[in-house]
Amino acid sequence: MIRGFRVTVRVCVKITGRMTKALIEIENLWYSHPVRGGEAISALKGINLRIEEGEYVALIGANGSGKTTLARHLNALLLPDQGMVKINGMDTREERFHPQIRSMVGMVFQSPEDQLVAAILEEDIAFGPENLGLPPAEIRQRVEEALEITGLKEYRQRPPHLLSAGQMQRAALAGVLAMRPRCVIFDETTAMLDPAGRHMVRRLMRRLHEEGLTVIVISHFMREAVAAQRVVVLSKGEIALDSTPQEVFSHPADLWSLGLDLPLAGRLAIQLREVLPSLPPNLLRSNDLIAALPPPPFNVRVSGLDEETPPVAPQNGFIHVDRLGHTYLADTPLAYPALEDVHLHADEGKVHGLIGSTGSGKSTLLQHLNGLLLPQTGKVTVGPFDLNDPKTDLKAVRQFAGLVFQNPDYQLFEQFVGDEIAYAPRLRGERETLRQTVQLAMEMVGLDFETFKDRLTFTLSGGERRKVALASLIAMHPQVLLLDEPTAGLDPRSRNETLRSLEKLRQQGLTLVHSSHHMEDIAELSDSLTVLHKGRTLLDGAAEEVYSNVSLLEEHGLEAPLVTRAAVRLRELGWDIPRCILRIGDLVGHLRRNLEAHHA
Amino acid sequence: MHNFEFLRMVNIGQYLPLNSILHRLDARARIVMYLLILMAATFTAQPGGLLFALLVVLVLLRIGRIPLSFALRGLLPPLPFLLILAVLQVFVSIRPPSALPLFEFGIFKIYASGLVSAGMLLLRFCVLILALSLSSFTLSTSEMIHGLESLLAPFSRFGLPVHDLVMVLQVTIRFIPFLAIAAERIAKAQASRGAEWGVRKGNVFQRVRQVIPLIVPLFLTSLRRAETMALAMDARAYGSTRRRTSMYTMHFAWKDAAALLLGAGCAAVILILGV
Repeated sequence: MIRGFRVTVRVCVKITGRMTKALIEIENLWYSHPVRGGEAISALKGINLRIEEGEYVALIGANGSGKTTLARHLNALLLPDQGMVKINGMDTREERFHPQIRSMVGMVFQSPEDQLVAAILEEDIAFGPENLGLPPAEIRQRVEEALEITGLKEYRQRPPHLLSAGQMQRAALAGVLAMRPRCVIFDETTAMLDPAGRHMVRRLMRRLHEEGLTVIVISHFMREAVAAQRVVVLSKGEIALDSTPQEVFSHPADLWSLGLDLPLAGRLAIQLREVLPSLPPNLLRSNDLIAALPPPPFNVRVSGLDEETPPVAPQNGFIHVDRLGHTYLADTPLAYPALEDVHLHADEGKVHGLIGSTGSGKSTLLQHLNGLLLPQTGKVTVGPFDLNDPKTDLKAVRQFAGLVFQNPDYQLFEQFVGDEIAYAPRLRGERETLRQTVQLAMEMVGLDFETFKDRLTFTLSGGERRKVALASLIAMHPQVLLLDEPTAGLDPRSRNETLRSLEKLRQQGLTLVHSSHHMEDIAELSDSLTVLHKGRTLLDGAAEEVYSNVSLLEEHGLEAPLVTRAAVRLRELGWDIPRCILRIGDLVGHLRRNLEAHHA
Repeated sequence: MHNFEFLRMVNIGQYLPLNSILHRLDARARIVMYLLILMAATFTAQPGGLLFALLVVLVLLRIGRIPLSFALRGLLPPLPFLLILAVLQVFVSIRPPSALPLFEFGIFKIYASGLVSAGMLLLRFCVLILALSLSSFTLSTSEMIHGLESLLAPFSRFGLPVHDLVMVLQVTIRFIPFLAIAAERIAKAQASRGAEWGVRKGNVFQRVRQVIPLIVPLFLTSLRRAETMALAMDARAYGSTRRRTSMYTMHFAWKDAAALLLGAGCAAVILILGV
């Protein structure tokens, strides 16, 4: 099926290809990552690709499919082992072209903090233009522009290490834009941003495209792929699909086999079409889906679903945070408050979600729940532990409530995966059962014991590192798992696997507290929620209760899950549906009941 | 309470954008002024000179609007090492052959000259650390880079790779806060998996032992990061043109000349008092 598909694609590329001059030409590109003392890992296997000036291309594929490696060939950071890469006719293997190629193709990298070179934000943005040898007035003007576009004006004097992840991403983008490139490559730029920040970057991508720039987006958000004109799918170092988003996303089964997924709107549309056959096929954007939702074909008797208040379970106050405040670098000129007035209640054996935009204090709050940070003001209790009591055994707290950090790089400190996961049990003095503990923990997160136990931790891909970090905490047998952005930057398949392993952990009786920008993850998994905004608790309660506040969420740069929005729209159209629905299955169930009630 | 705020220990390499008179001086004037004071404090040979140097630095910190407590905190981390050095100094200092020991404990003899030189060593390091922190609080990296570049430019004619040297310096400075943050994160990650970090107990030896498992991952992450940073610099066309320019234009005004003269005057006094 895939092969037939490719033929149509080639034809379509050829037709557009004749119009303009190709900016990027790749012919039979082979590349393998050298491994010292070992066999090179082959990453790209015979890539052929042409990208015209002004195209808007999404490059997608599972973790480890070679997307980043391919992107790095486009501005001569990597050079082909075999084959040829030409940028505007210039062969990347000729070193004399490198300055031009690099100012022509700008790149925003995956991890933002590694790109910031200078001690102050505006100086960092000036770094590129300074390297190009531009006159000072010109540099100043470009820096102003870049600050304006990315909305970072108020942070211009901040040192980069004091910016949040999202701000750093925007700073990195500003640094690239200041070079006025002809092509910008976004390497998962949006992975760590909140919905508002993501919207902003997506708008920027569109704007750059409209201004005639070539935009190449590497992303795990299928939504971003849908926004592009052309989608290139990589799989194991080869181009598997290359076509328009409509074409690529019309074969869900193929996508699944490539480790990808439909965009959320597409998935929801397919499930809704089972009950609403009048829904047009191939709906890929949320707004298109919402607009296409049909009214009921008959008059629905509105039952009293509204009056029915959701059953409020008595809170057992397993984790309890009251009026918590925390200021970083207190008593220094760099002091800044991260938490001001935070409340949180989470119940035993349940999943609690933490939502908030970047810099709202989610990570800081999580670090209070396992005693890494101690309350400066306010109260924190976690299970049997009172963290305000100076006699509390903090080591016991940390064993009780394990924290998985956002960035796995800092969590992995052993050389081999097996040792990494065995770190905590070893410290506890476990010997005979060690192997079994490690194996169980690895299976829990979907890592094969035999394949991975002797892998070097630093050769793992981002998603695999994430899994190892999670497994290393599971091996500690905590009662509570605290997860800081567990799914950020993962491809759809790994994301689903992670969510499934979290679900499994919940079933084993663990209490989970996880933070996320992804409303959908939170909705699928959480029983209760806390919404943070600028270090304060905005909402705290049962998931249904919190999400019924759609307008309050939107006011604060967050968005309700698509299912909830679709349900709200269907309700407006006259369907008999309760006000707040969080799961696709529930929505489909309600619609079906509506239809059956009519037939009966 | 601040078990994990490693960043608060690091003063050198932190710029404070406070916009004082000092911050507004020409970068070159500041660099030369600080260098003169640093040199004078290094070479002055009497306590009087050192005390005057301390006074000068404290006044400059005040002019720069830097809170004194913040500046002094930077002295704490190296203090144990300085104390060890000072104790050694008590025993190994050169003394006139006629000098009589103040105290005697068995084979250890303590002389007045030894105590004085130990005190001088402590004072000298404190002055130097304060002066270095002062320069980093008031000189942003880029100001320093461009200032140095402009000052060193004449030497490039003799084949000195001014450009690369200055860049090496800049990246080194950028890495200092990063190391603190990375160490903090690794310590936190180890602590949440049962290591003895920040659990409100443990003596000095236990604390030193904790640091060892920190070092290897710190090196690994630093190397990986250095690699990606080099990649990012390459991607932003670093080294692609011979002539790198600067966003900042430098004007050497009368107030800069005055500051420079004042700095030179202070340095002279420090040296004269130290003769």
